[in-house]
Amino acid sequence: METIRLIDTLPRVFDGQPEIKSDVWNREIAFQRGKTYLVEAASGTGKSSLCSFIYGYRNDYNGDICFDDVNIRQISLNGWLKIRKENISFLFQDLRLFNELTAWENVEIKNALTRFKTQEEIERLFDRMQLADKRHCLVGKLSYGQQQRVAFIRALCQPYDFILLDEPVSHLDEENAHIMADILQEEAVGKGAGILVTSIGKHLSLNYSEIVRL
Amino acid sequence: MRLLWKLLRRHVSMAQLLGFFLANWIGLTIILLSAQFYYDVRPLFGESDSFFKKQYLVISKPVNTLGSLLGSKGTFSSGDIQAIEEQPFTKSVGAFSSSLYDVSMSAGMFGTNMNIQTEMFFESVPDGYIDIDLSEWKYLPGSKIIPIILPKNYLNLYNFGFAQSRNLPRLSEGVLSMLSLKIYISGSGKRDVFEGRIVGFSNRLNTILVPDAFMTWANDYYAAGRKKEPSRLIVEVTNPADEAIVKYMDAHRYEVEGDDLESGKTAWFLKIIVGIVFFVGFVITLLSFYILMLSIFLILQKNTGKIQNLMLIGYSPRKVALPYQLLVLFLNILVSILAVTVVWNVHLAYVEEIRQIYPSFGNGSLLPIFVILLILFVFISLFNIFVIHKKVKRIWNGNL
Repeated sequence: METIRLIDTLPRVFDGQPEIKSDVWNREIAFQRGKTYLVEAASGTGKSSLCSFIYGYRNDYNGDICFDDVNIRQISLNGWLKIRKENISFLFQDLRLFNELTAWENVEIKNALTRFKTQEEIERLFDRMQLADKRHCLVGKLSYGQQQRVAFIRALCQPYDFILLDEPVSHLDEENAHIMADILQEEAVGKGAGILVTSIGKHLSLNYSEIVRL
Repeated sequence: MRLLWKLLRRHVSMAQLLGFFLANWIGLTIILLSAQFYYDVRPLFGESDSFFKKQYLVISKPVNTLGSLLGSKGTFSSGDIQAIEEQPFTKSVGAFSSSLYDVSMSAGMFGTNMNIQTEMFFESVPDGYIDIDLSEWKYLPGSKIIPIILPKNYLNLYNFGFAQSRNLPRLSEGVLSMLSLKIYISGSGKRDVFEGRIVGFSNRLNTILVPDAFMTWANDYYAAGRKKEPSRLIVEVTNPADEAIVKYMDAHRYEVEGDDLESGKTAWFLKIIVGIVFFVGFVITLLSFYILMLSIFLILQKNTGKIQNLMLIGYSPRKVALPYQLLVLFLNILVSILAVTVVWNVHLAYVEEIRQIYPSFGNGSLLPIFVILLILFVFISLFNIFVIHKKVKRIWNGNL
């Protein structure tokens, strides 16, 4: 997958609102593989909607979204499953971790599906994200910042052409935000993947190719 | 799979599953047991006589007090016979011939001093009416061996009356066929000893049958010159259920000997009762099935968030449904095994009981319940699997 193209896309909840000043909504815009985008937005401008449209679990929008030349409304269930395992990785704003499982198991349940990383690689990621001693803690017992880092590691456990990060550093301190940026740099930029980061204030410090206002 | 199960087993209620398990176990056991029982017991009632073809009726004239006093013979004249032959429902008519000489028989049994001696009589019908291997059913003049068909009643009298009161062993048909019978025949100043060999038992005819060839020869030899009109006729009809037969017989006041009537009624009641029990079992099974589905739906409902998240990280509805489907399949297999075990043990117990009364009662086979179980199992399990998959898929669709 090389591009994600939005053509006159607008969340239906914004229907009828007269003037929308946005680089994304109601225009044509394409995100390219290999580039890094920062989507800056104020609260309530549809940032999470954008991610869920692209990730295929909401379709309450007007206009079209295309992966390369394929309109994503045409993609079947199996098509989406394949995309979620091989083409697009997503760090959800609400994380969507399983509280009944430990931090390690939360990562493992994804990796069991993709078999993308070895145990050693995952261990190294836990170490670098300063979660080594939290591996076997139930995720529900961790702080939100720690959970954010677990969800980040999980997001790395699959091949992808694009990685979406919805407010990835909202609860991280400077140091951990830097570590995350470093890892993302190595993992995604090194692979030539496209990166889409959303933010309502705090930025993940990356070399952005483009900053888009939502 | 381990992690998936760890995640999805949340909200699996042991109480609900146990409820399903017990209800399904009881329901399935009732269904299988009633089917097995019906299959086992049916031959005792529906037993058709193997020696007479179905389409034969035996008719006689009624014996009544007045007739006896007036010396009415109660026999069929050649005119009567011809009239019956001309009826549209008749295919052919055969007459019973009775022995016109004296017959007595003594039966001894191996290893006992028991010896029964009794006066008796023989009858015969044309060979064509007897449905038995004709190589056994023949007599050559000069031979000292006579094949005999006895009424089943005689065996029952012995087994339930005589043997019971004297603590003698009950005998099956097979054993009795090995019994040696001495038969003394006398008439016209002659007296000879024959050996009788029992080749079968009949439910339909309360008479002692010998081959027609023997009867013809013996009547000529021991009772030369005597004649007797038949008191019973055997009629081959095209359709025994034909109303015309009943009307004709009533009009002429002939009696039709039926063995099917009583056992037919019993078999009918058996069918009704087993049917009711089967239905009850079926309803219980259906309810248990309903409990299971409700329980699974509840679990899915409570786990909806988790299932959604699993599908968001790439798990297919099929993978998510699998643990629940395996759970249901496992329960179904367990219930099936337990139900078959119970049914088989109950079956063994009642077979033992029945054998007290019918020594020749077979062991039966588990085949009928296996067939029913297989059908139920496949049907129910496939339905379970399908419904769970559909439900999980609906969660996916709710996602979009």
